[in-house]
Amino acid sequence: MVAGVAAFVSWLGASLVVLGDGRRALALGVLLATAGMTVIAWQTAGPLAAAAIAGGGAVAAARRFSSGADGWRIMPPGSTPRLVLCIAGGLIVLWIAAAVTTGPGASLRFTVMVVAGFSGARVLASDNASVLLTATSLLALVVALAGAFADGSGLWTYLAAALIAAGVGWLPQRTARAG
Amino acid sequence: MQAETAVLLVCAGAALAFTVAFNPLPISRRALLLKGGTGLAASAAIAAVPSFDLALLILLTVGVLHAAIDGRRAFAVRLRAPVVAVATLAVALVFAHAQGPDVLQRFAAVGLVSGLAAAVGLLPYLHSLDPEEPMTSSPIPWIAFVGPVLAAVVVARAQQMLAPDAGGVFGGMLIGLGLLNIAWGSIAAWLTESEVAAWRYSFVADWGLVLCGFGLTLADGGRAALLIMFSIVVVRLPLYVASRQALRDKAVAQRPINFVVAGALAGSAPFVGFVARILLLRAATQLYWPLALALALGMLLWLPGSLRLGRSLAVPRGRQAIGVGLVLAVSVAAGLYPLPILLAARL
Repeated sequence: MVAGVAAFVSWLGASLVVLGDGRRALALGVLLATAGMTVIAWQTAGPLAAAAIAGGGAVAAARRFSSGADGWRIMPPGSTPRLVLCIAGGLIVLWIAAAVTTGPGASLRFTVMVVAGFSGARVLASDNASVLLTATSLLALVVALAGAFADGSGLWTYLAAALIAAGVGWLPQRTARAG
Repeated sequence: MQAETAVLLVCAGAALAFTVAFNPLPISRRALLLKGGTGLAASAAIAAVPSFDLALLILLTVGVLHAAIDGRRAFAVRLRAPVVAVATLAVALVFAHAQGPDVLQRFAAVGLVSGLAAAVGLLPYLHSLDPEEPMTSSPIPWIAFVGPVLAAVVVARAQQMLAPDAGGVFGGMLIGLGLLNIAWGSIAAWLTESEVAAWRYSFVADWGLVLCGFGLTLADGGRAALLIMFSIVVVRLPLYVASRQALRDKAVAQRPINFVVAGALAGSAPFVGFVARILLLRAATQLYWPLALALALGMLLWLPGSLRLGRSLAVPRGRQAIGVGLVLAVSVAAGLYPLPILLAARL
């Protein structure tokens, strides 16, 4: 039950990152997704891994809250495809994680697929550096969760993911807009 | 670390040293060494880390750093490919380990091939190219410097993760994508307007052979893939570096040296590309002879593009001539006696 709620919160956070362009929406999205992933990391890898995810996500959210486009800017005009992605993508991933695949860990499967998929889609569809870096932070955190499926390196993966998630937000905007 | 990736890392180190020593353009060698050294260190880390998820995190870091260095293309354009690659590979990891119907493993194979193509910059995920962009921030480091080590790691991990049935699907997709890259890359290298784009497409065509070699899953296929990656890193990349000044000046020449370089790029005897092609054809013949026929026809497409690239080197002089001579000598040595490379890679 707890894992299911955490997976839903992760989807909500990732959806907010997809739907929002303003720094507040992006920061809240990262915070929600991090909260969900923290609970799942606690269940799959223990409290230290969860703390790493929480720390990395919190720093990324704080950084995003302090830089980027002002306000919320949730669902600006022309956002219908993004909304469709969030709803249809979420439903398809839910079907795969809960019905097509079997065995324990459905919440983990759902979270990894939905956050990785939404992050990749967001990067493909945006030119805004703050949006791109926010999606990259989420992707780093969820890659650490994906390690639970295979030969994960334990805590090191979570620490590395937290460092990357926290660090990418500090890339200078000057170079981030080079071109 | 696998022996094969160790060999490729040594090759990448040699290519970096060549680039720093023989780069004809007036650019800071310290900056070049720093950026190239970062790429080399990241490649070593991707090869050395014990788990695939850590390798993905390093790939993501390299992608972000590469997108953030000064360049002509937009940050977003440069970041897309590595992020999509990591996202695709992460989802493939889930499919590979999830319990359920066999089709999940096939989806994992699709994800692994797609992620590899996106990271390296192959069809159908060609990275955008600005001919005026400095080499360090262009897609060339992905396709010619980091790509070979990454490909060796992804293929090795895929062989561990996938069941035999899905492994066959993985190999089949690699061959299909390889043939597509061979045809597209070699024809585009011949017909595209920009000389820099022609060089990039020649890398794509070479990668088509690498993918076919990996996909054949026979010993000769793996050997061919290694030798072609060796050729990409130690021959094609240094020759591209040596041609940068001529490309900028739009100078061309048709001296004997240009034809020798064209021969090396086309994979003719006695250069290393020739041995690789022979091994590839032998493996394809063992597996399914019409595939060998298709590959042989595809290999003929290298000729016009290579002649064009050879001319684009102009007439190398001074230090550049020494560099080109060194590269050709290494290619001939590896072509005449490839055994030490294959033994070092335990192939």
